[in-house]
Amino acid sequence: MRTVIPDELKIQLRYPARAVGLVGAVAMIISVFLPWSYGHGALDDVGFSGSPSPLQLVFLTLPVLVVVLLGVPLVGKAKLGRWAKTVAWNTTAKTTAIASLGAVVVAMAAIAIELGGLVNIEVGGWVAVAGAVLSAVATIFLPDSPEPTLSRVKTARWVQILAIVLVLAVVLFSAAYALGMSDAGAFLVFAAILTGLVLALRQFGVFGWLGNASANNNRVLVVSAFAVAFAFPFTQNGSNANMSIASQVLIFAATALGLNIVVGLVGLLDLGYIAFLGAGAFTAAILSESAFSTVNFHPPFIVTVLISGTVASILGLIIGAPTLRVSGDYLAIVTLAFGEIFRITMNNLDGTDGPNVTNGSDGIPGIPDLNFFGFDFAQPHVIAGIEIGRFANYYWLMLVVIALIIVVFTNMNHSRIGRGWVAIREDELAAEAMGVNTFTLKLLAFAGGAFLAGVAGSVKAHYDVSVTPDQYVFLESAFLLAAVVLGGMGTVGGVLIGATILKLLPEKLRFFSDYRLLLFGLLMILMMRFRPEGIVADERRQLEFHDEDEELADEIEEELIAHHGHLNPERKGFEL
Amino acid sequence: MVELFFQQLINGLSLGALYALIAVGYTVVYGIVQLINFAHGEIFMIGAFGAFVTWMLLGRPTDWSVATSLLVLLPLMIIGGMVASVATAVATERFAYRPLRNAPRLAPLISAIGVSVFLQEFVRLFFGTIPFVGRIPGWPDAKSAVPFPSIPGISGQTIQLGGVLIQMPAIFTLGALAVSTVFLWYFVNRTKTGRAMVATSQDPDTARLMGINVDRVIVAAFAVGAALAAVAGVAHGLRYGNIDFRMGFLAGLKAFTAAVLGGIGNINGAVVGGLVLGLAEAMATTFIPGQFGSSAWKDVWAFVLLILVLVFRPQGLLGAKVVDRA
Repeated sequence: MRTVIPDELKIQLRYPARAVGLVGAVAMIISVFLPWSYGHGALDDVGFSGSPSPLQLVFLTLPVLVVVLLGVPLVGKAKLGRWAKTVAWNTTAKTTAIASLGAVVVAMAAIAIELGGLVNIEVGGWVAVAGAVLSAVATIFLPDSPEPTLSRVKTARWVQILAIVLVLAVVLFSAAYALGMSDAGAFLVFAAILTGLVLALRQFGVFGWLGNASANNNRVLVVSAFAVAFAFPFTQNGSNANMSIASQVLIFAATALGLNIVVGLVGLLDLGYIAFLGAGAFTAAILSESAFSTVNFHPPFIVTVLISGTVASILGLIIGAPTLRVSGDYLAIVTLAFGEIFRITMNNLDGTDGPNVTNGSDGIPGIPDLNFFGFDFAQPHVIAGIEIGRFANYYWLMLVVIALIIVVFTNMNHSRIGRGWVAIREDELAAEAMGVNTFTLKLLAFAGGAFLAGVAGSVKAHYDVSVTPDQYVFLESAFLLAAVVLGGMGTVGGVLIGATILKLLPEKLRFFSDYRLLLFGLLMILMMRFRPEGIVADERRQLEFHDEDEELADEIEEELIAHHGHLNPERKGFEL
Repeated sequence: MVELFFQQLINGLSLGALYALIAVGYTVVYGIVQLINFAHGEIFMIGAFGAFVTWMLLGRPTDWSVATSLLVLLPLMIIGGMVASVATAVATERFAYRPLRNAPRLAPLISAIGVSVFLQEFVRLFFGTIPFVGRIPGWPDAKSAVPFPSIPGISGQTIQLGGVLIQMPAIFTLGALAVSTVFLWYFVNRTKTGRAMVATSQDPDTARLMGINVDRVIVAAFAVGAALAAVAGVAHGLRYGNIDFRMGFLAGLKAFTAAVLGGIGNINGAVVGGLVLGLAEAMATTFIPGQFGSSAWKDVWAFVLLILVLVFRPQGLLGAKVVDRA
């Protein structure tokens, strides 16, 4: 963040600015021990003096961080070791102070809305506002620090692994904490604090370092991420509400990951992807033991999964074979039309407008829960004293499905096929000239993506208990696409984050539900305008979207050389 | 059987005229910037709402004579619709598409989906309200279908021609298409902006070197498409008797199909494609035997036609060979 204040003035004012900033931060710390509101009904109760609420304790991290960032350079960075010179102290202090101002403003607005007016804010609230304003304004006058170079610092392997595990643990606990919140205002404040912390750590250079650490310890990262995800149901103490949301997020994420192959890797815009999910769900529903099933063939679920995936991928072949030969724009519209054909057909196969296959708009209800070799998904189980309910069972199943998809995705990405896909995405004509069989590869991606959606759909059918055509409308396809775009096309982590945000926010912000789609549309426009590469950017893609930005190109090149030793971001596979 | 055929011919042509009016917008924009303006269906919807607002502002006249209705009310409503749709189209071009002109092709398409959802929701939530103030008393809410005003002389009127019954709104749609096509022909072939548009669509770089302001041409393309979409919006309102915030989705999709059918980028093709698509839909519901000929399947047949065209004649009925400019 560069400001208009001249550098000479900043250097002159650096000590007073630091002092005022510290005073503001201390005021915020004190405010946490004072009541923020008169009533007790706002933000899960912030009305006590002396005993801060959990939310206020989380908030405390921001001013404490400001104190550390402003205080340490005064005491002397040299004592901390060489790394202390590679991070951006001042700029991070500024970001943190501004973030805490943001969080305080959100908190005060929430109190005012929930209790009816600003009069409900008690002394602590005003102290927090004053402190936040003070430190935000003061830190603007600090001289800018140079770009952090923490990512180049060499650290012992155990430190890196410890850091990864620590980050994942924090992620787990924040997820559990955020899901447990019932108050929308409190959730927003928590989200603001978390965003502030993430921005601050990025500014400090921690993310660059973490990125290298995770690239060096990829296995550890993946295994521990799964361990954390696996452990999540144990933090819920048998509560079903959150597990239901979590398993919906996973189903959504699995489908989005399938779409990510098609859109992110190959660059084929598929706007009817939900139809493949629907095809899988309907196939699984019809083959299930539901009393409303219209065929008399009920294979075990393992077989059903394969049939569902196959049906979806055959549909993918039918729709892809004619359209993948022509320009990419047509594909978008044809897939959209296909999505509509699918929905209308499912509606019409009701016995009056066509043969009875799907019971028309009523769909197929009463789909029984899964049963793997006697393990009934409907039954709660007690593991280590914690009850694991129906939703947790599906959650774990989806986790396995997602793991499979990720394995397929990363192996494909680093294979000959994957490189062919990326070549097609970057420049189809050039790829074809280089001998890449573009049509076959595109068809493979399209049918493969459809297969994954079909598999996810077959689990979704059992999870949802009933399957109806109106669950598979265009808007759902748009949501899936948004998850891919928001998170970062072509990345696994990004899409998981995107899917989580898109599913979690509407659940937690129910009072907002009427404006959900409006904001969603706006988000897509703004995202394409300002950060088209998504939250987590694929290195190659970031360059593609900012091809005029020389500075960014140099930066990425340096990063790549720093942690791979050469420019090619892929470490596996042969070099040309 | 023959009467039925002619009846469906009229129904199909008037439906097709509606598609054609919208399809021109897709084709003109695509011809110049190679962008599928996904939000064009919403521009059509906003045109219909603009006409409705004009009628409200005129004091909701219901008892005007046939002559004043046709000569004053209807033209005013069409102009009102055009103002709304052209303003929206130009604004979306300015804020959503222009910044992305040099981005990879996926970016503007995704942005267009965002615009489409945003415009639908905007109309649904804010029609008949002043944001942050409240509802305007007496104005309907757009969360469900809004009844479109009936125009004396058109709404509910029919003409009997032999055994064929022709609805007046159908004649209005066909007439509007005829007039619009003449105007469009004049605009493209005889005006400076129109010729600049053709030049830009053939070769934007050379056009720029010849002193054509490409930005202005692109805005003009969006505006022309939006103006015709507004006419289609009024025609849709008269034909079906109501308008709603969702009407642009399916109509836009069909119109795009029509544009592809005729050969995208080709203005004549859009008109022909629209008419052919409308005919195909009308005939499919009559002449396909059995359950699959019921009207529930007509959209499916339209989209099947789209896929067939892409397989056998990807350049469309009137299109030249498609050159991939990627």
